[in-house]
Amino acid sequence: MHVRYSYLPQQFESCDDLWAELREFVKTGDFTLGRPLVEFERRFASLIGTKHAVGVNSGTDAIKLSLKSLGVGFGDEVITAANTFVATVGAIAELGATPVFVDCDDSFCMDVGQVEEKIGPKTKAIVPVHFTGYMTDMTGLKPLAQKHRLPIVEDACQSILGEFDGQKAGSIGDTGCFSLHPLKNLNVWADGGVITTNDDAIAKDLMLLRNHGLVNRDEVEILGYNSRLDTIQAVVGNWLIPSAVDISNKRIENAGYLDRGLRGVQGVTIPPRLDRCRMVFHLYMFFAERRDELLSYLIGRGVEAKVHYPIPIYRQRALSHLGYAEGDFPVTDRHAKSVLSLPCDQHLSDDEMDYMIETVRSFYG
Amino acid sequence: MDDLNTAIPYVDLSAQWSECESGLLPVMLDVLRGGVYINGESVEGFEKRAARYLGIEHCVALNSGTDALVCALLAVGVRAGTEVITTANSFVASTAAICHLGAVPVFVDVLDDQGMDPDKIAPAITQKTSAVMPVHLTGKVCQMDRIMDICSDAGLPVVEDAAQCIGAKFGGKFGGTIGDIGCFSAHPLKNLNALGDSGFLVTRNPDYAVKIEAMRNHGLIDRNTVENFGYVSRMDVLQAAILSWKIDNQLGLVNERRRSNATYYTDNLTSAIQKPYESEDDWAVYHTYVIQTDKRDALKYYLDSKLIGSAIHYPIPIHHQPAYINKFGPYDRFQLTNTERQADQILSLPVHQNLKPDQLARVCAVVNDFFDSDQ
Repeated sequence: MHVRYSYLPQQFESCDDLWAELREFVKTGDFTLGRPLVEFERRFASLIGTKHAVGVNSGTDAIKLSLKSLGVGFGDEVITAANTFVATVGAIAELGATPVFVDCDDSFCMDVGQVEEKIGPKTKAIVPVHFTGYMTDMTGLKPLAQKHRLPIVEDACQSILGEFDGQKAGSIGDTGCFSLHPLKNLNVWADGGVITTNDDAIAKDLMLLRNHGLVNRDEVEILGYNSRLDTIQAVVGNWLIPSAVDISNKRIENAGYLDRGLRGVQGVTIPPRLDRCRMVFHLYMFFAERRDELLSYLIGRGVEAKVHYPIPIYRQRALSHLGYAEGDFPVTDRHAKSVLSLPCDQHLSDDEMDYMIETVRSFYG
Repeated sequence: MDDLNTAIPYVDLSAQWSECESGLLPVMLDVLRGGVYINGESVEGFEKRAARYLGIEHCVALNSGTDALVCALLAVGVRAGTEVITTANSFVASTAAICHLGAVPVFVDVLDDQGMDPDKIAPAITQKTSAVMPVHLTGKVCQMDRIMDICSDAGLPVVEDAAQCIGAKFGGKFGGTIGDIGCFSAHPLKNLNALGDSGFLVTRNPDYAVKIEAMRNHGLIDRNTVENFGYVSRMDVLQAAILSWKIDNQLGLVNERRRSNATYYTDNLTSAIQKPYESEDDWAVYHTYVIQTDKRDALKYYLDSKLIGSAIHYPIPIHHQPAYINKFGPYDRFQLTNTERQADQILSLPVHQNLKPDQLARVCAVVNDFFDSDQ
């Protein structure tokens, strides 16, 4: 059996209605900041429960533009998670700011108990990363940020419709950043991202920043970027957004199925499943003994398992000037050696999941 | 027959789509069914086609022309605190690219055709200069022979802002292939256009190409290793497939038709205005057909009243934009006499490839009528 990682051909197997909409849309020529985009932003804001949603070119740009609108710039420090994807840190670095890392716990999110000791005079913002579909302890983080008057930019790229203590990812911080990359839980046919916020001034700033700073066709108020969500992709987003809740439910259900099959297997440790958190399983990750051997074993038997990520961001060459060394973030280091991701998407069949469970079991036999 | 009561739009993307629909729908359907939406064969296919069309070794597909400029400037060594020599009559993106890298734009004046004045470059070079960025505005290439001579004498890299000039030539060479890196936009309003934001750059230098390929994808040199931080600036697979089809089926036609429309205007418009001109070295593609007249605002008003679309590219030079002044203060390094004058006198007439002969005739009649009755 072959268990694929990308489910895109299945997802868009029967989309004649979407194709019909696209055919109508292309006739309009409304390609840049067009009406379907405005509609998508309205629906996205309503999905997350925020006042505003602003479509941008990627989840990375969502973080970059958020930080820029909050005044982060050259020489500032931004506190974030040591185990995140490169994009979070790339967005910080692009503004000339320096990332200051906090280790994670076994829920793959920053250990909020370690944040306060990292706050210094140059700290300008905190970027918690709701990694893999888990959520950072926002109930703990928010009062801390308020005490130090620091804005929070939620990196919710992997956690759309995740919740912590009943509050949705992206609705708690000053802004929430989402990715619509084809492999995300809510996806389009290209790079794309969305920023959510309840703050009118930030929303206005973001609208300028994504479109060259143009207040009208001829006047430039601030130097901005070209980072628009393509309107043609908003048509795709509008088609998919009514299914967003079902997609997250199905992933949660699949994760439960995999948990039941893998729990108790010698060599496998399932991460803690938290009562206070609605985990939406962008990635289904667990801790595996002899991880690299298991990875080859699975791939050899047709299961497209992956590792997110074998080299932690803080040890990448691009950050060597910050002088971090292996051992600085022990939990992150342990994860880098032991995590493994299996497909968990809404299009997986029970047979495919049974096969994955069976293959892991047979490895540890 | 063209009806005097119908509008002549400045741009007409619907007419363009009707012309391309039967060719493009199957291309789009293929991509959508394929399930690969990031990078992949469509993007590589586009890069090969664009490079072959322009006769150059490397093409890197990106998310926008703006991003192409940022990546190009970074690749040739523009850093915080350095200066980049460019022109102020451009779209804001060219200067924004310089500023995002922490560098300072140094504006020099332009010639009558709105292109960078080569004579103004040498006096603007200082110890801090890290690059020169001519902008091939309107679809006409700047005087690249002289610009290259001056820059190679000074040891300065040249990044061509070729966003508006795909297919245009100077001295037989394509704009964008003469300097160190050429940056193109494929925004929906360009001569070679996608159905969303996209752009690309071309270069002969393999080191630049490799650097920028990592830059566009988070700085990843493989799935797990980051050498230097980059951006997310990938051309969408859908847009790449559309652009490939257009290079094969449309681009040559589009440029020929725009040139033919421009020739018609130049032959038939009144001599009371200044019209675009070409020397023996030029082969322009008329992204815009820009006339100059000191009665610009009245003429634009008159055209509007006759339902003829027109536009101003651009009424406020960058050094007068609030964004520039708030950051750098008033610009006082050089006199920008032509830049200032042109901002008040330029007007772009519709020149797109779907204009019909009777529409062109009506534009000429209305413009000429305005000046006749003015005398």
